[in-house]
Amino acid sequence: MTMLKINNLHASIDGKEILKGFTLTVNAGEVHAIMGPNGTGKSTLAAVLTGKDGYEVTQGSVEFDGKNLLELEPEERAQQGVFLAFQYPVEIPGVSNANFLKAAVNEIRKSKGLDNIAPNEFLKLMREKMELVEMSKDFISRSVNQGFSGGEKKRNEIFQMAMLDPKLAILDETDSGLDIDALRIVANGVNKLRTKDNAFMVITHYQRLLDYIIPDFVHVMYNGQIVKSGDKSLALELEEKGYDWVKELDMV
Amino acid sequence: MINELENILPSVKNDHQKASLQNAIAIGVPSMKHEEWKYTYYNKILQQGFSPAFVVDQQPSVEKEFIDEYAVSENRIVFVNGVFHNELSQFNSHPKINFWNSNNISEISTKDFLLELNNALATDGVFLEIGNNVVSEELIEIFYIHTNSSAIVNLRNKIKVGKNAQVKLAEYYINYDANPAYSNIVTEIEIAQDAIVELDKIQDAGNLFNITDNTFVKQDRNSVVTVNTFSLTGGITRNVLQFDINGEHATANMNGLYLLQSEEHVDNRTLVNHNVANCESHELYKGILGGKSTGVFNGKIIVKQPAQKTNAFQSNRNLLLSNDANIYTKPQLEIFADDVKCSHGATSSQIEDSELFYLQARGIGKEVARGLLVYAFAAEMVERVKNEKLRNKLQSRIAELLKIEL
Ligand SMILES: Nc1ncnc2c1ncn2[C@@H]1O[C@H](COP(=O)(O)OP(=O)(O)O)[C@@H](O)[C@H]1O
Ligand SMILES: [Mg+2]
Repeated sequence: MTMLKINNLHASIDGKEILKGFTLTVNAGEVHAIMGPNGTGKSTLAAVLTGKDGYEVTQGSVEFDGKNLLELEPEERAQQGVFLAFQYPVEIPGVSNANFLKAAVNEIRKSKGLDNIAPNEFLKLMREKMELVEMSKDFISRSVNQGFSGGEKKRNEIFQMAMLDPKLAILDETDSGLDIDALRIVANGVNKLRTKDNAFMVITHYQRLLDYIIPDFVHVMYNGQIVKSGDKSLALELEEKGYDWVKELDMV
Repeated sequence: MINELENILPSVKNDHQKASLQNAIAIGVPSMKHEEWKYTYYNKILQQGFSPAFVVDQQPSVEKEFIDEYAVSENRIVFVNGVFHNELSQFNSHPKINFWNSNNISEISTKDFLLELNNALATDGVFLEIGNNVVSEELIEIFYIHTNSSAIVNLRNKIKVGKNAQVKLAEYYINYDANPAYSNIVTEIEIAQDAIVELDKIQDAGNLFNITDNTFVKQDRNSVVTVNTFSLTGGITRNVLQFDINGEHATANMNGLYLLQSEEHVDNRTLVNHNVANCESHELYKGILGGKSTGVFNGKIIVKQPAQKTNAFQSNRNLLLSNDANIYTKPQLEIFADDVKCSHGATSSQIEDSELFYLQARGIGKEVARGLLVYAFAAEMVERVKNEKLRNKLQSRIAELLKIEL
């Protein structure tokens, strides 16, 4: 079943076009890897899909579950089940992880006409998901991402994803800066959350993550669009030939 | 106002009070022409119909249950319309804590209208004496309740804390029936050596309540004194807080939070006199200004010539939520000693878009997201309240004011 349909998407920031005709369809149950050199527009794609301010869509469309995603507020997109694991998670001093996630869970429930989650149920959920990404106990009361190491921040993104159980999760370079143990924890988290009803867009710079999260499709992005798609072997080929090869592909 | 004071004059018997009243008349009502009143329009309080009164209104009945809602401890000293209320007050008897109500006030000689007014017209006040070595776990709470009084309620408090004693105090203003109210309070606090004291001022009596507060703290050596001022709702609020550090190795902490969302006006003026060597003062006032509110912060640190090795830090940080809100901030430092560490600074910022987006991207609506971020800005100040019950209470109250659930 089609979940996300991005068609000929053009988007610019400060008058500079970054996405130049990006087209991709994601079905439920699939994992898509998006690879490409720095500055190619991967994070821009994630920002446009999640509704960050400052981006102008000049052409094309995005449908999510048959609805026009681009006209929704960021929180509405999240409430509909779109999740972004940020490349650079923001530190929010003074807001505890517990209060933050309780607000998120309850706001999403409210949008579905449900009552607030019971406090004990929430705690149970937190504990269960913390285990999944091997978070230490003091994490609950710490401020969101404040003083977290790079690896902890990335794990926190996956933890939040686990808590919110989205339909479509976009992981923006969640693997960069992780040591091998953290990488395994993150990948393990993702793999445990995979079902036939949800989908993942895994943005990565390196092939390495795809040894742990096996993608159904690999897309190579360059200069604001997909220049080549294939199965997981494409990632290996890319690793071998390097990103200069991609630039050549773009010329063709 | 001045006319009214002149009319009262003949009925004042006591010479000191008479002199103070004459001083008040001579000084005149504060005007925005005075440097200390540049941003605060005092007449706006008087225009709500308050008049100086030497005789207070009768005390209407306030139920004990009413106080229960506000109190977090068993030690309560309650004033209703400026008069000590025996039935509502309660105190776990302690051989070395004495308190009595007293209008037998010590004179503060000054050229300040509000202080002279208070000198002349104070109807009552608490005299609280904490004996040497007393460690009081239980918070001592002081309530100032106003019920339909058009009088300027003048109270004069005196608190003495003995050597090596430890005590926490909190004061609250309550507007019983939501009529305009105005409290002019003066509190003198004397802290002996080695004592540890915290005073929490909770100003949250609704936007019809006006406060002018003058608090003077004198501390002796090795003492640690913390005053936390929370201005959460109110009409015009003016807090003058002065520390005189008179003994070495003493620490003064001054914390303030003003959370203004509509048309509140809060003016905080602090003065720290570092009179002797080897002391510290730490001051952080944080303001949240929304709606058409106004915040004024004027913080002054004076490091006298003998006060070598002083560490004095002062900071005023403001979060502006609306274009119609105003903050006037003026940190001042006067240093006459050469071997000191001092810093001061003021900042104004707005909610970070990146933080807002992060919360929205997790499904949190814009309004709640803003509320959470504002709460986060405020939370640091609440953390400084040591009494857990009061801290929790403040946390939920601030969440309520910001329309968020925690
Ligand atoms: N605020 C901005 N103004 C102008 N250009 C920007 C802005 N933000 C990002 N860019 C540019 O957009 C391009 C794509 O960036 P990004 O989407 O972050 O790439 P990637 O995630 O693939 O590394 C880069 O050339 C970057 O410099
Ligand atoms: Mg990127």
